Amino acid sequence: MSNDPDKVWPTGLTLREAEEVHSYLIDGTRVFGVIALIAHILVAVTTPWLG
Amino acid sequence: MFNYKSFALRKISGVGVRFLPFSDAASDEVPLSRLLRLSLFQVTVGMALVLMVGTLNRVMIVELRVPATLVGAMLALPLVFAPFRALIGFRSDRLKSALGLRRLPYIFKGTMLQFGGFAIMPFALLVLSGYGEAIDAPRWIGLSSAALAFLLVGAGVHIVQTIGLALATDLVPEEDQPKVVGLMYVMLLVGMIVSAFTYGALLQNYTPGRLIQVIQGSAVITVALNFFAMWKQEARDRMRALAPKGPEVTFGEAWARLTERKGMFRLLAIIGLGTAGFGMADVLLEPFGGQVLMMSIADTTRLTVFLACGSLVGFVLASRWLGAGTRPIDMALFGAAVGLPAFGLIVWSSSVLSVPMLMAGTLMAGFGAGLFGHGTLTATMRSAPRDQIGLSLGAWGAVQATSAGLAIAIGGAVRDTIVATEVVGASAAAPYTSVFLIEAGLLALALLLALPLRGKSESRPIDVDPVQTTYLSGGTEPHGAQPRTPQTFAAGRTR
Repeated sequence: MSNDPDKVWPTGLTLREAEEVHSYLIDGTRVFGVIALIAHILVAVTTPWLG
Repeated sequence: MFNYKSFALRKISGVGVRFLPFSDAASDEVPLSRLLRLSLFQVTVGMALVLMVGTLNRVMIVELRVPATLVGAMLALPLVFAPFRALIGFRSDRLKSALGLRRLPYIFKGTMLQFGGFAIMPFALLVLSGYGEAIDAPRWIGLSSAALAFLLVGAGVHIVQTIGLALATDLVPEEDQPKVVGLMYVMLLVGMIVSAFTYGALLQNYTPGRLIQVIQGSAVITVALNFFAMWKQEARDRMRALAPKGPEVTFGEAWARLTERKGMFRLLAIIGLGTAGFGMADVLLEPFGGQVLMMSIADTTRLTVFLACGSLVGFVLASRWLGAGTRPIDMALFGAAVGLPAFGLIVWSSSVLSVPMLMAGTLMAGFGAGLFGHGTLTATMRSAPRDQIGLSLGAWGAVQATSAGLAIAIGGAVRDTIVATEVVGASAAAPYTSVFLIEAGLLALALLLALPLRGKSESRPIDVDPVQTTYLSGGTEPHGAQPRTPQTFAAGRTR
């Protein structure tokens, strides 16, 4: 399994495949972060908790 | 000494692939349980539709006191994205992916958008209605955030439904497609019915906190169901990933290739007319029953239940008949033909004031809509070449969602203008019956368009080669007369 230098261990994906899987994770995290930011701003508008 | 690191890595390598969301190999047989799991994405679509069109429509107007015109504009926003379904389907057909995936990344992104929209929606609505300190906030914050929330959910629903249907089409062989279409429609309906009751029960005692819980709960359920639905459904495809990409095809070229297929444009027109014809009365049936036939609220709710039951029977029977060899376009034709007398019955019921007649008409309209929807979606699936499945289902969704949304808006507008211009004391039925008559007219138009497609290619086997011929074009081709050799069949099958 780990003999092929092109395969990323331990999943057996190639480097490009692994990077693609990773890119979806990154995308999801970014969307999630932006959504959380907007939600916090909106909550702060309705019920301010800072000063 | 015990080597923790190698132990841990060995353990992880053993389970590594199990935790990746795509399956490792494409199997020929897709068991029903897997299709059932895939169809769960339709439940989340139905949930989003009910929440936006039904529940929030009421909550925003009654509890949050947002002006009705503003509510209407917000709810119409997702419609803006409907035509882009074709583009999304096209993009997923041509997606460059090292894993050879085409559908999974889009379902994931669509789910994220759906989730994001639901996550900010309750706060956006509270700000929009000026709850708490938000009364002092600038108006644009509430407006833009609510618009953003509805746009996100709408875009997510469009993407998830289009790509989900394309994935389902990819997975099953042609002769099983009617079953899958039926399953998808039934799950959409089930999702809508179940979530309508659930939202109703949960929001019985409305508080702002409850609103936040309900909408954000929907967000979590959406993500959970969609992930569960798409888990391990699409096989990764090294051949596709490594295959040399052909010349760049623009959307315009692909669209031209799709619509130049014989009957495709006509099919899209039929879908638009028929969907509008069946959909226009969806929101008018209950007020019609209440105002004209003086039915109680419990009775008018039964109207909607009858409509849904009729559709359910339609989907099931259409699956069976299509599986037995009926052609999809004939099924759609039959559905529209059932719809015509159904709306006749509904109109007639207002002059004789007969509630059973209205119920019967509603049941028939639902039945016709079920047959029509099933037939046209199956026809779209069958007429799609294997490399354009995303695009053609996107086109189906674009036409279907746009015409359904426009029909509801136009139906309401027609009724309101007739109500406004009517002389006082004129019959209460007139505004409604005119809408029903428009619907019958649209169905008649769809029938006229569909008739030429009928009767062609009667000898065509169900499992036609999807690459070379469309299901609709049929017997006019020169090879129609010569016997179908196994060679051409096999040649078409290889991708």
